[in-house]
Amino acid sequence: MYLIGIDVGGTFTDGIIMKSGNITASAKNATNNSDISSSILTTLDNLLAYVSDKKLIERVVISTTTVTNLIATKGAEPAALILLPGYGLPNSFYELGENCYFIKGSIDFRGNITEELSVSEIKSVIENIQVQNIKRIGVIGKFSNRNNEHELYIEKLIRETYPEALVLISSQVSNQLNFKRRIATTYYTALTYFEWQNFIEQINKALIARDISAEVHILKADGGTIALEASRNYPCQTIYSGPAASTMGGVALTKDSKNSVVLDIGGTTTDISLVIEGEPLYASKGAIIEDNYTHVEAFSLTTLPIGGDSKIGLLNNEITLDSRQDFAACFGGKYPTITDAFNLLYDLKIGDYQKSEEILRQLAIKENLDPKKLAETAINMVMESLENAIKEMFTRWEMEPLYKVWEVVNSRKFVLHRIIGIGAAANAIIPVLASRLGVNHFLSQYSPVANALGTAVARPTININLHIDTGENFYSVYPTGYLGQIKNSRNFSLEDAKSLARNHLAELVKEHNMEGYEEDAVFYLTEQFNVIRGYSTSGKIFDVGLQVKPGFIPEFTGVK
Amino acid sequence: MRKTGLLFFPAFDWAISPTHPEREERLLYTRDQLFEEGIMDLPNIVEYRPALCETKDILRAHFCVPNVEAHLTEAHFIAAGSSLVLADAYFNKEVDNAFAIVRPPGHHAMTVTHGNRGFCNINNESIMVEYIRKKYGLKKIAIIDTDVHHGDGTQEMFYNDPDVLFISFHQDGRTLYPGTGFVEELGGPIAYGTNINIPLMPRTTDYGIHYVLEHLIMPILEDFQPELIVNSAGQDNHFTDPLADMAFSAQGYAKLNSILAPDIAVLEGGYSVETALPYVNAGIIMAMAGIDYSNLKEPGFVPGKLTEPPGNKEYLDKIIELQKHNYFTRYEVVSELRKSLGDYKKEYTRVFYDTDYIHEEQKQQLRICPDCLGFKTIGSTAQQRNGKLYTVFCISIPIYACDSCQKLAREAYKDIIKSGHYDMVYLQDKVTDNYHIYDLAKDGELIF
Repeated sequence: MYLIGIDVGGTFTDGIIMKSGNITASAKNATNNSDISSSILTTLDNLLAYVSDKKLIERVVISTTTVTNLIATKGAEPAALILLPGYGLPNSFYELGENCYFIKGSIDFRGNITEELSVSEIKSVIENIQVQNIKRIGVIGKFSNRNNEHELYIEKLIRETYPEALVLISSQVSNQLNFKRRIATTYYTALTYFEWQNFIEQINKALIARDISAEVHILKADGGTIALEASRNYPCQTIYSGPAASTMGGVALTKDSKNSVVLDIGGTTTDISLVIEGEPLYASKGAIIEDNYTHVEAFSLTTLPIGGDSKIGLLNNEITLDSRQDFAACFGGKYPTITDAFNLLYDLKIGDYQKSEEILRQLAIKENLDPKKLAETAINMVMESLENAIKEMFTRWEMEPLYKVWEVVNSRKFVLHRIIGIGAAANAIIPVLASRLGVNHFLSQYSPVANALGTAVARPTININLHIDTGENFYSVYPTGYLGQIKNSRNFSLEDAKSLARNHLAELVKEHNMEGYEEDAVFYLTEQFNVIRGYSTSGKIFDVGLQVKPGFIPEFTGVK
Repeated sequence: MRKTGLLFFPAFDWAISPTHPEREERLLYTRDQLFEEGIMDLPNIVEYRPALCETKDILRAHFCVPNVEAHLTEAHFIAAGSSLVLADAYFNKEVDNAFAIVRPPGHHAMTVTHGNRGFCNINNESIMVEYIRKKYGLKKIAIIDTDVHHGDGTQEMFYNDPDVLFISFHQDGRTLYPGTGFVEELGGPIAYGTNINIPLMPRTTDYGIHYVLEHLIMPILEDFQPELIVNSAGQDNHFTDPLADMAFSAQGYAKLNSILAPDIAVLEGGYSVETALPYVNAGIIMAMAGIDYSNLKEPGFVPGKLTEPPGNKEYLDKIIELQKHNYFTRYEVVSELRKSLGDYKKEYTRVFYDTDYIHEEQKQQLRICPDCLGFKTIGSTAQQRNGKLYTVFCISIPIYACDSCQKLAREAYKDIIKSGHYDMVYLQDKVTDNYHIYDLAKDGELIF
């Protein structure tokens, strides 16, 4: 059986094939950013050359920049947002994109309607959007995750009066607390929705053409995969899957429960992520898209504009580090780079050592410096930036807010055990950095393709969250936006809440084509509150969250 | 816009008892509202992680009988510690101001504590003020208590300290717990006029509270020139609060905080958990952060519907005039009092702990010192909730005490231990920041 992983990066697209725990082949192609699908298929075709029988391909996982690029290049058609902010922060705080309409209608945290909709107002807003020929509409109401009646009504009205338009309601895109993040998540989903459907069609067609019937998954920002078909409504979840691929690659190569930092050091940039007791750390506020927090779960990530090809320069007698302009001199580049500095100072024999030495000497001579001294200073600058970024990430994690007594009493400090190096420039930089930090390091012959490995073996993840209010007799489900009623609300217990969550997870798992994984689900949130009115209990509120965490498919037991 | 530090610690796993107003649910809807608004995502809001305070931080303000561990849960250490986290953030200039939305509350807790009174075991603001004075060397601090209940604990703790201005407005003590906070309570002999109470008529609205703020509190603050303004920020003046009878709104609270402009606010009471707290907390944050709060409204609020009680304006004018007079003539009064008093001022008081049903008796003595605030002693007797009877002696040396007071107080500590009349003897030495607890039954001393 073959497993295929393809990771589309900004510069290169990497792919690997795994067979019985061995990486049997890899491929690398330059990414064509204006046609991501072709980059994926070229790499896939390279890999297929090593496959004896296509029927033996069990699973293909793709980590793609399709959505990331679409947003970055602002290539999408405009979307309009209909917002129901109710009372609270000023409306201006919620504006996003060019076409925001604020309308009446408000719901409170317990799902009570506190202000009715105005049908005439909604109709005139829809007309306005139609006149401007905007075909993508997001509808987001404050507390729609507690009661989506208003959103559903507006959706229906749009379908009736403007059927050509795409309507997305926030309770079905991301049914979580945080109106502002629901706005952003719904907005970016609307912006990329049609393009994502196109991508799915292209991949499907290409696979049929190649006679591949394997299951196909997409890597998400949370380091888990989602079946290609199940991903249709969640294009934004595929954003930042590249760094997630690297982190999962680092964990796949080590597969233990140590505290690690994963550094993916490419030519241009370095991505840093934290792994705590073997589990990658999430960004507490979700993925940030164009400076907006979203409900897209993503790994906590710091990206530094420093890589192996960062250019070393001299300005007014000061050594400078500039962004990548070419390969390292030892690989035929025109400028002295960080890789050359390591080559010279540590005698690493990377590429053509003589060229590293020569180009750094030429630079040093200008200011009467010793080339080794110059290399050392430049390396120190890189090390300081990396060290500071790592320490800042620890601190940020240690400073995350907590809301319960036991969390505060049991809060931990981050003790680093190891640095895992990934990416082309890792071999030079990681050992030096680790010794400066006084910890071990890990490098592997597969470090350069760890991202594709992480992609190939990542398992599907899923997260389900129920808010249950027995006093108001309703419950709502994230991510589906399902609203249900509670039977037996008087005696409803935390155990009932948990089993309700398990039932909903079982359904969702079927939809997502990931049966069996529900057994690995763990409760990451179990809260219950007595609702007391006038000194007696009038109901209970439960918040329960159940999750299949990032991990690896059962077939993967480590790299041999 | 200002940079506002926020520490939200709802203690979702702590309650006095399951149906008590001070229960897990208290800040649940506030969490929902703040999270749903996305306030914590604003670039000028910095959220901080709660932390436990140290025993020593508590001993700087309190005499806990018999010891700190006896009555406190971890939640108390966190509520107090969280205020200190924000104090550090403020003084390290990480933020322009800060708001601790923490529970359990503290403003009814007094210097000596035998248990819980008014839902409070230890006084979060007082602990913070002592911490700030020790760590950052501040002298003049103003605490404005905006809770509907008189902040009797905070008043008691700074009653003899003219460097801490305490102003409390609250529903008239004749109609509400704790039954104190009258205009006559103006401060000890050398701190006279720096304890200002503003008892308000029940059903006073935004108008009345803002009127007092503008015409009394702000002019006094302007004159006092504190280095730090602390808002002891209760939210139970709200018209929906189940324990009180006032008519304040969420917008009213927001405006109060934009005029008062506290440097640090610490949540106190407020038990309308669903119809007031979510909106009032949002309003205070918005006001402190300089965000337009004109779109903030709680569902039950109808503008113009709540009206002032009849005759309130005349009543408020009288109080304003009286308390301005008391404040602005305070130096003359203090110098008269100094002449008429001997070396020591003695007082007998009783303190009632409503939550734990404890009756405490105290004999207090303050040294009237020409050079400093004078050291204070408290002999205290109480039968605690568990039935144990304690007779203890507490000695407190103020942070800026003169050499002679320091010496006398330290000698008194040794003499009292020798006398053998007490179960416990305490020395709170704020000058050296050392806190002695002497247990006579064990014949052992602990020093923090």
